[in-house]
Amino acid sequence: MVAAAAGAAFLAWLGASIIVLSDGRRGLALGLAVASAGLAIVAWQSSGPFAAIAVLAGGGAAAFWQDRSGGGAWNVMPAGSTPRTLLCVVAGLLALWVAASVITAPGASQRFAVLVVLALAGGSVLSSDNIWGVRAAAAILALAVADAASLGGSSLWTFAAATIVAIGVSLLPMPKTNAA
Amino acid sequence: MQPEAASTVVITALALGLAAMAAPTRQTKTAILVRGSVGLAGLIAIVIVPTLDLVALIVLALGAAQAGLPGGRTFASRLRAPVFAVGSIALGLIFLRVQGPETLSRFGAVLIVTGLTAAVGLVPFLHTFDPEEPITLSPVAWMAFIGPVLAVVVMSRAKGILVGEGAAMGAILIGLGLVNVVWGSLAAWRSEDGMAAWRYSFMGDWGLALCGLGLVVADGQAAALLVLFSIVLGRLPLYVASRPAVREKSTTDRPINLIVAALLAGSAPFAGFAARLFLLRGATQLFWPLALVLAIAMVLWLPGSLRLGRSLGLPRGWQAVAVGIVVVLNTVIGLYPRPLLFLAGL
Repeated sequence: MVAAAAGAAFLAWLGASIIVLSDGRRGLALGLAVASAGLAIVAWQSSGPFAAIAVLAGGGAAAFWQDRSGGGAWNVMPAGSTPRTLLCVVAGLLALWVAASVITAPGASQRFAVLVVLALAGGSVLSSDNIWGVRAAAAILALAVADAASLGGSSLWTFAAATIVAIGVSLLPMPKTNAA
Repeated sequence: MQPEAASTVVITALALGLAAMAAPTRQTKTAILVRGSVGLAGLIAIVIVPTLDLVALIVLALGAAQAGLPGGRTFASRLRAPVFAVGSIALGLIFLRVQGPETLSRFGAVLIVTGLTAAVGLVPFLHTFDPEEPITLSPVAWMAFIGPVLAVVVMSRAKGILVGEGAAMGAILIGLGLVNVVWGSLAAWRSEDGMAAWRYSFMGDWGLALCGLGLVVADGQAAALLVLFSIVLGRLPLYVASRPAVREKSTTDRPINLIVAALLAGSAPFAGFAARLFLLRGATQLFWPLALVLAIAMVLWLPGSLRLGRSLGLPRGWQAVAVGIVVVLNTVIGLYPRPLLFLAGL
């Protein structure tokens, strides 16, 4: 259980970092898939298999549509991405400190996974103008909100709603006037 | 369902009809009705759902839906505020729910207020603003349509989670409220662009609403609710009606412009006046110097409101009917606020 939780935390951080560091459709799709796998493990541990399936379905569908749209192929860590790399490292360290040291309750790995995805998805939207990246960050943020709610004992409805929002954000038609 | 949230939704639905009536063209009326109905469905969902987490997800969905429409601002810039708001609220809820030091819970309360102000688009989280953008795509839709219901729901739900952090939340609300009161009222007066001036006037009113929400006495809550009602039922339809005249930069000095200016300034006998009285009474009960600061700040509304009243132009046809209904409704609420507050459970 401890190893699975630690693995989930690492996957969540890695996936969210890939979303922050990518500008291409495949990079963003990979980030979504990896991060949602991490969040699904957290959901399984806190709310059971149906919650995990909902997170996987939302993240998987978002990754699938991300791969079908957007420009470039991978475009991971393009030139000038040093600030984004720093964001990933600093957000990871801060989330680790808060989850493991500031908060005293058990379940540090799950908290880390949720905190780091929330922080990195938010940071990605605030710092990027890449329409596809923003869409991927919003989708993974929705799933992280459901995971965050599960730490306080939420119902499956939250996961269902998060899945719908993640898929809906991914399916949004891009506005023609500002699709660049 | 909380009575104050339910009554705010009903008022918002009424305001949607008034805004559509006040719209200058058939195309704008249709856009306001169609997109506003989708927004209203989202607001009803916000009121019905049982947890703040679900409220946050609905806010994200509404933000994404608005960002997906074609408009002047980029997709990213339109989605920024809702995503930041949802992230803040989710983090705040984590900090409030877990075991940890007292500071963490206070930080959680601050994050929830931060999320609310970011969603609405108040200082220090101003949304980017394009004066030419239709109102349904503009940040004003968050300030005047989604924001009031969201604020009522978030504050009432947050109080159920907060154990000893009510004071911290109240303090940050009052602090942010005062900043927005001063910033909004001064900018509404001094801003060169007419549309931006209207947007800042919403911000000023929101400052009063935040101060009311931060006061932990019944009068403060009543004041906040009345200010929010006056934003939705007064300022929003008047803003929609004034957009053509503001675009043409024409000003009019008819009696209706003076009446509208008085309504926007919160003068007697309009709803804003009753709200200000409740607010000053609540502030006096809590800490009288705050009432003094608020009373001085309220004077700042006058020049900006005169400017906005003149920018309305001379409403004709359905616009004149809508402006007439707005004036009558605000007068009735200003003279007899108690029935409405009773329905809102206060």
